[in-house]
Amino acid sequence: MPDQLSLIKGTLDVLVLKTLSWGAMHGFEITSWLEDRSGGTLDVEDSALYQALHRLEDRGLVSAEWGMTENNRRARYYSLTRAGRSHLRAETTRWLRYTETVSDILGAATRTA
Amino acid sequence: MLPPRARRFFRLPLRRRDQLAREVDDEITFHLEARAAQLVARHMSLDDARAEALRRFGDVDTARHTLNRSATRREARMHLRELVASSWQDVRYAARGIRRSPGFAAAVIVTLALGIGANATMFGVVDRLLLRTPAGVVAPDQVNRVYLTTSNGFQGLQLGSNQSYRRYLDIAQHVHTTSDVAAHFERERVFGLGEGAREERISMVSASFWPLIGVRPVIGRFFNASEDQLPQGAPVAVLGYGYWQSQFGGRRDVIGHNVRIGGTDYAIIGVTPPGFSGLSLQSVAAFIPLTAGAADLFSEFGPGVKWSEQYRVGWLQTIVRRKPGVSVQAATADLTNAFRQSIETQREVEPAGLLALERMNPQATLGSVLESRGPRRSQSATVSLWLMAVSGLVLLMACANVANLLIARALRRRREIAIRQAIGVSRGRLLAQLLTESTLLALLGGLAGVLVAHWGGALLRSVLLPDLDWSSGIFDHRVLLFAGVIALVAGLVTGLAPIRQLASTDVVTALRSGGRGTSLRSSRLRKALLVVQGAVSVVLLIGAGLFVRSFRNVRALDLGFQPEHVMTVGVTMRGTPMDSAQKIQLAQAMLERAVTLPGVVHASRGLTVPFSSEWTQPIVVPGVDSSRLRDLFYIVPGGADYLATMGTRLVSGRAITDADRVGSEPVAVLSQGAAQRIWPGLNPIGRCLKLGQDQPCMTVVGTAQDIRASFDDDPPLQVYVPIAQQPQPEVRLFIRTRGDAARSTETVRRALQEMMPGAAYVHADPLEDIVATEFRSWRLGATMFTIFGFLALLVAAVGLYSVVAYDVSQRTQELGVRVALGASAGKVIRLVLADGVRVVALGLLLGAMMALALASRVTPLLYHVSGRDPITYLFVVLVLMAVALAASLAPALRASRVDPNIALRAE
Repeated sequence: MPDQLSLIKGTLDVLVLKTLSWGAMHGFEITSWLEDRSGGTLDVEDSALYQALHRLEDRGLVSAEWGMTENNRRARYYSLTRAGRSHLRAETTRWLRYTETVSDILGAATRTA
Repeated sequence: MLPPRARRFFRLPLRRRDQLAREVDDEITFHLEARAAQLVARHMSLDDARAEALRRFGDVDTARHTLNRSATRREARMHLRELVASSWQDVRYAARGIRRSPGFAAAVIVTLALGIGANATMFGVVDRLLLRTPAGVVAPDQVNRVYLTTSNGFQGLQLGSNQSYRRYLDIAQHVHTTSDVAAHFERERVFGLGEGAREERISMVSASFWPLIGVRPVIGRFFNASEDQLPQGAPVAVLGYGYWQSQFGGRRDVIGHNVRIGGTDYAIIGVTPPGFSGLSLQSVAAFIPLTAGAADLFSEFGPGVKWSEQYRVGWLQTIVRRKPGVSVQAATADLTNAFRQSIETQREVEPAGLLALERMNPQATLGSVLESRGPRRSQSATVSLWLMAVSGLVLLMACANVANLLIARALRRRREIAIRQAIGVSRGRLLAQLLTESTLLALLGGLAGVLVAHWGGALLRSVLLPDLDWSSGIFDHRVLLFAGVIALVAGLVTGLAPIRQLASTDVVTALRSGGRGTSLRSSRLRKALLVVQGAVSVVLLIGAGLFVRSFRNVRALDLGFQPEHVMTVGVTMRGTPMDSAQKIQLAQAMLERAVTLPGVVHASRGLTVPFSSEWTQPIVVPGVDSSRLRDLFYIVPGGADYLATMGTRLVSGRAITDADRVGSEPVAVLSQGAAQRIWPGLNPIGRCLKLGQDQPCMTVVGTAQDIRASFDDDPPLQVYVPIAQQPQPEVRLFIRTRGDAARSTETVRRALQEMMPGAAYVHADPLEDIVATEFRSWRLGATMFTIFGFLALLVAAVGLYSVVAYDVSQRTQELGVRVALGASAGKVIRLVLADGVRVVALGLLLGAMMALALASRVTPLLYHVSGRDPITYLFVVLVLMAVALAASLAPALRASRVDPNIALRAE
């Protein structure tokens, strides 16, 4: 898939947090949600997602507990903690400001070219 | 998953490692299945879907590993958090419990404070005397003090630590392969001039001392071999840090200034680091070259003392540092060999009195660098070691008491504890809580104990061991550490005591009995503790009794004079020229001034200080065989009030008066012993005595009681003569004060110093410091043993009271039944008393046996008291029984007032 978007390091964490801001989900739901939103353009192995989830849990940004799916299967559900929510807010702001700056510069460069 | 808080609330066990691994696997499996199901729903075959799911997942093993590690880490962190939280909870719970029963807490804390305080104090002393190596000495275990012993042919070995300069030079010359050699000598010297002149301690050291010790100067330099050479070295001085700070404000430009020590000005060349006092336990103001100091010091003794040439002038001490890898044995052999060679050299120059080498059997011995440690350990150090052991016993008793209190408290709280157990608090947590409580109490006790040690230590050092340098404090980190450790140990040990009780607590019984009813085992343990306490207090009280009796025997011993009320005054001329007539005039003027001073009762001129300096002379008595007079007679010149000043009683005749002058009839007063020796069984009054064949007759006009300095020696044969008839160009006064002479020395000194011409300096010393230093160890022993003995008694009494009172409260019902069945109040009282007394009697028996077993070891420390002194034993037994009765009486009376109705209805 040549047109797939390579994830900039560290952005996966923010994307996961963003996903979870909609409510508690298990790992596969998060994967599907991200794939749906990105139109299948995230070049990331599923295992990376789980490592990200556990990393976030280590940092206390998400918490996890076992629950039941609609099909009555046991699954590990992740949800945002209060710390995770404020982290997401801060990261989002930082990210938007960053991309804005970068696109401004790139846009200006195109005009003079 | 439950949140950690809920798990903690319900005390759910934490998950194990394999469980964590299973959960990780479950999560991965679930994902793979969900992905496959999604792909199948998009019309993929099941096998393809599974393969695609695995492909999209990536490396399963690595992922599993990472997730596992992450989960384990989280779990461990949670574990730690819970541990901290539960410990904190325990501490808060314990603090609450302590606040709720302040009386109990106060009893425990005070008891432990006394025990820990006593131990910390004694540790401070023992540490200072025996354990701590002198500060600033590099690798102190390689440094030894050298003792040289010879036999004089019939008395066995004479242990000598004082050596002559010649001997030191010989040894330093002959010993070089095994050790480095240095010499040092300490002494009080007068610093400064005029009003500001003070006596300070100096250390005179050989130049080799500095490299041997390994200390570095904080500023300036130390002196070298070229500055420490015969005949009189270089006048340079290295200041002690404390003296530099107090006298020069720590100024760095002090180098090159002069400081006056004795009769010489010394140029300051350096300062030692803080805390360094050479090898002395006392603080040292300055270090000067051995040769310079000796030349100045010995010049005061007159030109006859050739300190640098004569082997017989023994004064300095030799120390060695063994070279790396040299054993004590090898160094000893080398030093002994050097000593033998030195004696052979001595034989060439001073052959008089030297026996053949084989009969002299010269030996070198290497002792600890700490002089107090031996080979001849000081009496103070020995007594301190005993007191350390004694304070250990006091702590043991304190711990037994606290254990008893904790058991009683645990039993009282049985119902509460049973409830906690019933709602599922684990036994481990309960134990942790109990231990936390006892440890918290012990640490509080330790804190209070440090305060006790602070005051106790101040008392001890000012009253009992005043001449040690405590500037680094009795209260240093080692003492604090020691107090902390024993507090922790005490907390854990005492906290464990009630645990056996609780471990066997049956929840149902405890709940039903409403917290009453003592198990047989617990009361047996508590009584065993009491027996131990009783035994220990018997041992301590007997020790106290023996020491007090020794001390009283020592004090009551009639020395024939009272050193505690007398001070002696002398003058160091320090180069101020005065002829004999001027000196006598000065002494007379000082005498006239002295008697006007407040608190002074009598004063007299004198020449010799008893048992410190002497004038001995063969005497001639017409008509008496001179062979009987070959013993030493001490000629003691004194003024009219000499005997009254010393407190020596006149036995017959008259004392010397002011009328006994030059030109009047020469007279003398004899001590009884002297009179008996010369004219056994005859009245000496009116008889004639001569100080030499061609001297005039002195008429004996009176006799005085004998004097003695130490306890078992024969009294010297004294011949008191009027100083006016035997003019002595010596400024020496004796002054009798109404109270303790030691307290007035400074006032007297200052008053007399004003009269001094030039640089002359007045010394005033209590006679007790010179004569009765032996008193000190007895005083230390008697005081501390008594304090510890009464502490022990108090602790034992409180313990007995608490146990008996608790038993009575537990037996209310039983006693009620007895009263209901017709037992009289007297009978109940007897019953309870008998219980307490039985326990104490057993303790008494055990303690007395222990004391008897130890008796032979204390006897050498006692004076005219046997370690098995029956009076002391009897007295202690009576005191302890009385205390036991008193402690049991209050609960017994309470028991006799039990109302059977109430007691029975409570059931």
